[in-house]
Amino acid sequence: MASVTGTSFSMTSFKASLAPSSKVSNLKSVSLPINGKSFAPLRLQTSRFRVCCLAKGDTLDKVCAIVKKQLALPDDTTVSADSKFSALGADSLDTVEIVMGLEEHFGISVEEETAQSIATVQDAADMIEKLIQKKN
Amino acid sequence: MLLLRLRVKFMMSIGCFQRNLCAASSPLVPVRPPSPMETHLWYILPDEVKSSKLLNRYFELLSPCEKEKVFRMHGDQLQQRTLLARTLVRTTIARYQTNSHVHPRSFKFKKNIYGKPEVEWQDLEDWHLPPLHFNLSHTSSLIACGVTVNSPIGIDVEEKQRKLRNNVLRFARRYFSPYEVELLAAISDPEYQRQEFIKLWTLKEAYVKALGRGFSAAPFKTFTIRFRAAMERAIHLSGHRDSEAFDIVVDSIDDPENLTNNWQFALLELASSHYAAICVEKDGTTGGKGTLPMKLTVRRTIPYLEDECVSGTAAVVAISGMT
Repeated sequence: MASVTGTSFSMTSFKASLAPSSKVSNLKSVSLPINGKSFAPLRLQTSRFRVCCLAKGDTLDKVCAIVKKQLALPDDTTVSADSKFSALGADSLDTVEIVMGLEEHFGISVEEETAQSIATVQDAADMIEKLIQKKN
Repeated sequence: MLLLRLRVKFMMSIGCFQRNLCAASSPLVPVRPPSPMETHLWYILPDEVKSSKLLNRYFELLSPCEKEKVFRMHGDQLQQRTLLARTLVRTTIARYQTNSHVHPRSFKFKKNIYGKPEVEWQDLEDWHLPPLHFNLSHTSSLIACGVTVNSPIGIDVEEKQRKLRNNVLRFARRYFSPYEVELLAAISDPEYQRQEFIKLWTLKEAYVKALGRGFSAAPFKTFTIRFRAAMERAIHLSGHRDSEAFDIVVDSIDDPENLTNNWQFALLELASSHYAAICVEKDGTTGGKGTLPMKLTVRRTIPYLEDECVSGTAAVVAISGMT
């Protein structure tokens, strides 16, 4: 499209351009231990491009679910471990509600100062794991 | 009562220019900066900004970093919101340099240690005014920017209809001060309780943003915001608050000696759809007891296209703390 300078913006050009958020950026290798033996590393990829580190799979899933519910995101929205709350449209009240939802589901207590450092879904999952460990 | 409505609109007359050239060449309407006792509030309604040519023009005002941030947002709506927020702050501040032209693109921003954005004034060559303070807030349907000179400012806007996912009282018990919980618990009508919650939230947000510290560094439990009868009478929790009869004050809970009476609040209904709270640091020279109402000028804008002063119209309904 015609533009005065090199980079052009329009609502339609967004759909055409490969915005960073649409890239699959967090494929990791994990090994699947079965019967005590580790298999060679496999690339794990769900149909929604959501990768869960096995040890924290449930936690990540639950965080994703709570975030989607709070932000009223459609079911087919891609929410991955490195999704930033702010990029998903969460404002400060959303973030606080998400933290409260996580506290209630996981039975933990999050200090306000800790909430500052939570920017992504993975950050939230890591914080939860840490707090659960501290509790036990 | 006659309501004054000031409307400045650039009409593109076909006889003089081609339409697309007009959109590219209309300047920002300059505005006199706020006086030390004044606060300016500007807002954009995203639904009013449809032209892709205009959005393109806004996009060109952004720094490379800001452009990247726009693209990182998920979906058109969030991307447009981010674009308009950066556009609003850049164009608004640029308007105030009335003597020489400062391009909105020329501002650089930095963050304080808590992450509050500020303008890098020393990098600007053509700026001949005292540094302006600003603060942004947005919802999906409104983007607002408050501006003062010489006074830290925090603003927060929320949709009036916003529903909490959690139960209001459970949320308040977790995050608000005991006084505030008690006040909300005393409200039996759930809808009224929800509205009062939202108003309280915006006030508390505006306060921590004015402090420059945000939610994490100034936990909401550590201070109380309340309406105090201007005549120092006991408060009556009636359904209606006369804007002139109450002012909004903040008390620090864990540090009662902490000087908190240097913050001034205003709460209003904006564009019929939002609650807006504004918090500014009072000018130390005013002194005395009580608080003068905030002198607030509110403008709706579509930068480069349309500006409208809406103070005194139905778009601005004072709830407390302002005339």
